[in-house]
Amino acid sequence: MTTPILRIENLSKRYGTKDVLKGASLTVNKGDLKILIGPSGAGKSTLLQCINFLVKPDEGRVWLEDAEVHYTHKGDLCAYRQKVGMIFQDFNLFDHLNALENVRIGLVRVKGIGKREAGERAVRELERVGLRDHLQKYPAELSGGQKQRVSIARALAMDPKVMLLDEPTSALDPELIGEVHSVIRDLGANGMTMIMATHQIGFASSLASEIVFMEDGRIIEKGTPEKIFCHAENTRTREFCSKITELYGETR
Amino acid sequence: MPESLIAITDALPYLIEGAGVTLIVVAGAMVLGLAFGVPLAIGQVYGHPALRRTIGVIVWFFRGIPLLVLLFLFYFGLCTALDINLSAFTVAIIVLGLISSAYQSQIFRGAILALPEGQFKAARALGMSDLKAIAFIILPQALRLSVPGWSNEYSIILKDSAVAYALGVAEIMARAHFVATRTYQQLPLYLTAGVIFLVLTYLGTKGLRILEEKVRIPGYSSQGV
Repeated sequence: MTTPILRIENLSKRYGTKDVLKGASLTVNKGDLKILIGPSGAGKSTLLQCINFLVKPDEGRVWLEDAEVHYTHKGDLCAYRQKVGMIFQDFNLFDHLNALENVRIGLVRVKGIGKREAGERAVRELERVGLRDHLQKYPAELSGGQKQRVSIARALAMDPKVMLLDEPTSALDPELIGEVHSVIRDLGANGMTMIMATHQIGFASSLASEIVFMEDGRIIEKGTPEKIFCHAENTRTREFCSKITELYGETR
Repeated sequence: MPESLIAITDALPYLIEGAGVTLIVVAGAMVLGLAFGVPLAIGQVYGHPALRRTIGVIVWFFRGIPLLVLLFLFYFGLCTALDINLSAFTVAIIVLGLISSAYQSQIFRGAILALPEGQFKAARALGMSDLKAIAFIILPQALRLSVPGWSNEYSIILKDSAVAYALGVAEIMARAHFVATRTYQQLPLYLTAGVIFLVLTYLGTKGLRILEEKVRIPGYSSQGV
C-alpha cells in the first residue's frame, strides 16, 4: 500500500536575502493525509506553493508518480498542475463566474470537455460538497464556508491525484469551519491524497496519517499525530504543540 | 422669429449630420483604442522588461504630443512623405484611435493590477496557461472594471474630435464654423454646436452607465456603500 504518489526533494526558496524554505523533502503515499503545522512564517505556504510551482523554487525536484516534473517546460507544467488540486486560504474563486461556472471552467478551458458534459460534472461535484442549491450564485453572494467548498469542488472536478490545502479554514468564521472540515474528512475517507497546512490541531490529529512540523523554512520533525502531540522529540515541536493546543483546544 | 433662431433652425439638419460624422470618428477611435489598448496593457503588465519599456515609450509618445500636432504630422507629414492617400476622416480616426489606445491601455493596466493576485494563481493552479488565464479570468474582470474609465475616455475623445476640423473633416465644429462665417450668426451657431456636444456627452456616458450596470458581477455594488 506504500506507492509514493508525490515525492519532493530538497525544495528551497529564497526571497532576496531571506531563505523562506531550506531544503524540504517529503514523500507522500497514495491516500496519505499529511498535515503541515508550524508557526506563521515557517514556510508551510511556500512549501505548498513550491510543490505546484506557483512559487518557483530555487532548488529542488518534484516527482509525481515516478515522473519528474520539468517545470521549466510550460506544457509539462500545465499538465502537472491539472493533477495537483490547490485550495487557498482565501478561496480565490473567479469572481466573475457563478459557482457552477467556477467549477466548469477548468474542464472546458483546460481539459477541453464540452460545455454540457462539463456542466453535468460540475453539478455533481457541487452536490458532493453540499451546494446543489447554490449553483447560480456568484462568489460575492456566498458565505466563506460555501466559497471554500466551491473551490474544493473546482479542484475535484479536475480529477487530481493529490490535493494541496493551504490553511483552508483560516479565513473562516469559527461556525463555518465545520462544514469545510466535513468535506475534507469525506475526501480523506474516499482515499484522496492530501497535504494540508492548518492550525486546527484537533482536526489534524484525528485525521492525519502524518504530522509534519515546520519552523524557519525547515521540516523539523515528522511522525504520527500521537508522536508529535504527545511525545515530540524536538523541544520546539513540544513548545509549539502545547501553545497551539491552548489556543485551539484539545488535541483529541 | 428672430434672425438667430432662424439661423439655428436652418443650420440644424446640417449640424446634426455633422454629429453623425463626429460619432463615427469617436466610435472608430474608441474601438481602435480598445483593440490596441488591451494588448498594450497586457504587454505592459505581464511582458518581458524590454517589451514593457517599448510600450512605455509608445504610450509616452501618444500621450505626450498634442492632438493637433499629431493630426498634422500624420495627415500633412507622413501621408505626403510616404505618398499614402488617406482621407482626413480616416486619418482623424487613426490618430484619435492611437492616442486613445495609449490612454485606454493605462485604464486596462490599472484594472488588471487592481485584481487580486489570487485570481491568476488559481487559474494557473487549475493548469491554465498564462494566455488562457488572461483571456478567461483576467480580462473579463478587468474589462468590467474599465467601464467607468471608458466613460471618461469617451467624453474626452468626443471633445477632441472637434480638432479634426483643422483637417477639414466635416464634423460638428467644421460645419458650425462654415455656417457661422457665412451668416455672421456666430453666437447662436457655436452655442448650438456646444449644446450638441453636451447632448452627445450625456447620451454616451448614460449609455456606458447602463453597460456598467449590465455587466456588473452579481453581489458587487456599483453604487459604493
